[in-house]
Amino acid sequence: MTTVTRTSQPAPTTDPPTTRRNRDRHHRGAARWIVLAALIAGAVVMLFPFGVIVLNAFKSPADYSAGGPLALPTEIFTSGMIDFWNRVNFGRKLWNSFMIAGSVAVLGVLVSLFNAYALGIGRVKGRLAIVVLFLMANMLPQEVLIYPLYYIAREVGLYDTQLAVIIIFTVIQSAFGTYLLSSVFGTFPKEILEASALDGASKWQTLWRIIFPISRPTLSVLMIFFFIWTWNEFFIPLVFLISNDNQTVPVALGVLQGQRMMDATTTSAAALLGIVPAIAFFLIFQRTLARGITAGAVK
Amino acid sequence: MPITRTFTRPRKTVAGAAMLACTALALASCGGDDGDSAGGSSDTLRLWHYEGQNSAMGIAWDEAIRIFEEETGATVEFEEKGFEQIRQTANMVLNSDQAPDLMEYNKGNASAGLLASQGLLTDISDAAAEYGWDGMLSESLQTTARYDENGVMGSGPWYGVPNYGEFVMFYYNKDMFAEYGIEVPKTFDDLVAAMDAFVAEGVTPLAMSGAEYPAGQLFYELALSQADRQFVDDYQVYENPVDFGGPELSYAAKTFDEWVKAGYVSGDSASLKAEDMGTGFIGGEFPMVYSGSWWYGRFTDEISDFEWSTFAFPGSDLHPGSSGNLWVVPTASDNKELAYEFIDITMRPEIQALLGNNGGVPVAADPADIKDEKSKELISLFNEINEADGLAFYPDWPVAGYYDTIVGALQQLINQSASPDEVLQQLQGPYEDGVAEITG
Repeated sequence: MTTVTRTSQPAPTTDPPTTRRNRDRHHRGAARWIVLAALIAGAVVMLFPFGVIVLNAFKSPADYSAGGPLALPTEIFTSGMIDFWNRVNFGRKLWNSFMIAGSVAVLGVLVSLFNAYALGIGRVKGRLAIVVLFLMANMLPQEVLIYPLYYIAREVGLYDTQLAVIIIFTVIQSAFGTYLLSSVFGTFPKEILEASALDGASKWQTLWRIIFPISRPTLSVLMIFFFIWTWNEFFIPLVFLISNDNQTVPVALGVLQGQRMMDATTTSAAALLGIVPAIAFFLIFQRTLARGITAGAVK
Repeated sequence: MPITRTFTRPRKTVAGAAMLACTALALASCGGDDGDSAGGSSDTLRLWHYEGQNSAMGIAWDEAIRIFEEETGATVEFEEKGFEQIRQTANMVLNSDQAPDLMEYNKGNASAGLLASQGLLTDISDAAAEYGWDGMLSESLQTTARYDENGVMGSGPWYGVPNYGEFVMFYYNKDMFAEYGIEVPKTFDDLVAAMDAFVAEGVTPLAMSGAEYPAGQLFYELALSQADRQFVDDYQVYENPVDFGGPELSYAAKTFDEWVKAGYVSGDSASLKAEDMGTGFIGGEFPMVYSGSWWYGRFTDEISDFEWSTFAFPGSDLHPGSSGNLWVVPTASDNKELAYEFIDITMRPEIQALLGNNGGVPVAADPADIKDEKSKELISLFNEINEADGLAFYPDWPVAGYYDTIVGALQQLINQSASPDEVLQQLQGPYEDGVAEITG
């Protein structure tokens, strides 16, 4: 507003500037309202499934059958949630998921960092081919991988262990991580690397003293993605974690899907329990996420 | 939370990461040890099933576990599984040393038959004779317990034992029939007349789900109403080639089409799930639903606003239905004798009665033991059909992956985007290809 009033000063007549100013503000206002409305509509669309889950999580089965999924619950019904927690020993599943997702996040980022250091900064021969290979590993559907992985795991005695799942996801996630970090490191300023070489830093020192601190925001974002992606994985944990004691949250939710029956209210309650940790994790680290996945270059 | 530190205090990152990785390794290796010790012990029975805790089977089997532990002194290590998990992973689990000693598994050629033909299930014919299970189960219930070397049901050794049966029938809302003064149908013509009367009142008579199994089962029942046992044997166990233009299937396609055109079935139901169909009936929107006995317990629990009852599809001797899922003993089971003993306990009259009194359909219960009135109604209807050898299995059984073919084809009939002849053609191709693959 201040800038607009200032521009109006040179003109002696009062009428034209006022109309222009009004029109401007009005114009900008309308656009703003449209953007706001679109954003609200988008948010509603995004939140709708979540809302339905919350709505049904607190409904009794009879209430659900009588009123359908969209009706408001007639009373707050929490025993479905409590029953489910006890029935599948949910605390244990949360811990399993946390261990697996946490380990994969840390190890995956570490492996990605090493790979990308070699490919993006080390300038290995044929690095494009290697990066494409990594990307292909990431793009293969898991159904294709599952039988060979099962066979290998069984042969080395890792079938039905969390370690098997951790290793598999570390490789799958770091394939994406390597691809991403390699291209980020490909644009890493040469001056910095030269400066560190002049100061006599070894390759190892360059990695940990120079590259790691500068790319830390990118690495953090990657770690959060790895955590959330691994947390939500269903198929590979379903196949590899046979014992109930080893299972993760999404696999535990599978218990509720019967052959012909689905228990919609308990499923909602359980889904709510299952996504709350991932949402909490996201909210805690959202500032890191906001810094952007390719941040970290010199200013 | 070590991860928090990773982000806020950079210098500890490496230490935090290393710590987490170590813990992961330690924990995982613990898991490995557990796995090794789980297999061996001679007095534990590792048992898996995927029936809900409060379902008829869940309740009856809990009691069976109690009796088993009391009588044999062995302990049962029970794990509740998800249907989807067992379905997706069974052939991998059974091929490893993590296989349970006894598990519930889905019956049919593509399920238990496939595992049997892969050598993953134990041939339990001797136990069946020794314990007398072959005398307790009727002919059509035994069909799904026996599989030949190609995994085709109906002949060959025993690979499983069913505890319960299931079949498909009409459920109807008595209050709605009374409200509009419509008679409960006894013959096929009554049924059509009743549906016409509902349509005239502006009520869609039949709840339907096109996106899942219900449409296929109604279609199959329409074919069965024109068929004899030979048609079932041809269709299900490939005795003779099936004529898709023959009187059974072409009648089914035409009649289904007429029912959609007459408004007996809502055109919107093409995309509905079975769950929507069931809740539609529970909510009192539809006077009738044609579906399986697996709904019985839920309808009993959740319908409180109106009176309801059941009748078999009028004018037909054959009905979709079969034994329930099977107890199977994996080849890798360490305790086969204990597994047989457990199966035998589940076949005892008191366990069977418990199953019947909780909304299940027992296969070997003494009718006098069934006290619950609603359950008695269900079980006598089942016994009637079973004694007449009227269980005709399900339409999607003959060929692997046929379920999706049927759903896809019938959805087009429901939303009227294909003619009955086109639908029959769509059903014929995959069926014939699949049968050729099995019979060679």
